[in-house]
Amino acid sequence: MIGELIGATVFGLLLLGIHRKVIARIQGRPGPPVWQEILHTLKFSFKESWVPRTASRVLFVGIVLVAIAIWVAAFQVVLAGGSLLILFGIYMLHKIVEHGFGLSSGSPYGKFGGVRSVISAASEIPLFVSIAGIVLLTGSLLISDIEAWQAVHGPLLYALPLAALAMYLVLLSKMPWGPFSIVESKEIVSGYKTEHFGIWRAGLEVCNGLKTSVLLYSFIVVFLGPLPLLWVLLLMLGIQVSLSFACALTPMLAPFDSVTVQSLVAGALLLYFLALGVVL
Amino acid sequence: MEKTAALGIAIACGAAMGLASVGAAAGRVPPVLAGGVLILAFPVGALALFRWWCAGEGEEDIPFLGY
Repeated sequence: MIGELIGATVFGLLLLGIHRKVIARIQGRPGPPVWQEILHTLKFSFKESWVPRTASRVLFVGIVLVAIAIWVAAFQVVLAGGSLLILFGIYMLHKIVEHGFGLSSGSPYGKFGGVRSVISAASEIPLFVSIAGIVLLTGSLLISDIEAWQAVHGPLLYALPLAALAMYLVLLSKMPWGPFSIVESKEIVSGYKTEHFGIWRAGLEVCNGLKTSVLLYSFIVVFLGPLPLLWVLLLMLGIQVSLSFACALTPMLAPFDSVTVQSLVAGALLLYFLALGVVL
Repeated sequence: MEKTAALGIAIACGAAMGLASVGAAAGRVPPVLAGGVLILAFPVGALALFRWWCAGEGEEDIPFLGY
């Protein structure tokens, strides 16, 4: 268990490094080496660290622990074939964690990032719409049941391509430097994580690595079913590169445009699944 | 002193996670309990390890207010 956890964290950081590299190459820059995010984590962990004078000490430190803990929990849920509702609840919880990061430091940039994380919770709406479609078809919320359904009927991707699209949009909304990354855009410095540096940022990097692995792995398990490990790793890499292309080729939306686009997609999908429910 | 305590916490968390993982693999620890140990110990262990090997603490400062 601990081996898988550390492996998932390091692989997630490697995928984030590849994400940066792909974006850089598309934009005509050499970009950092693919293991940059792993080096980044180590670098921050060696640095001198303190808590800003205006910060709430308990929240400032505690939120880093919570950020890592929720993604460890999400990883356990996926591995154990637990409920999609818990998993997607954790995705929502991450927005509250970002909010906590932003508000804990007392920095105006952190606060702006925190407020934007609440606004961008709209990005999770497609997630719940996609759950509706999955339950309609498979009759269960348990990942293990969904895997068993796919073993008989084939991948959910073919049966519910629009649910997969909704989930893909959620993945895109959680990728850094993407069209929906309003919580950490440059006009608010680094957004919610502006003041978390040194070992606190290293902790956040651990969280991000694990988050990336969980997001991609859960997408594969839910929409493609159980696969051999090598295939899972290759597919994670493939999906990550496709997300990197999407991030590199689309400009970052303004906060309200970001919410509007995601809400419109969720609304369209809701209508589709309502129609599907009537037909089924 | 604080660094020694951080190392102690990191080792304790590592041992707890190791025992939980081995116990779960051997069927002696319920997977839910092992998962719970990991959820609690992994973040604390990681930060304690970073705290142990990071450079000395600096003086606290006011937050970043712009260029």
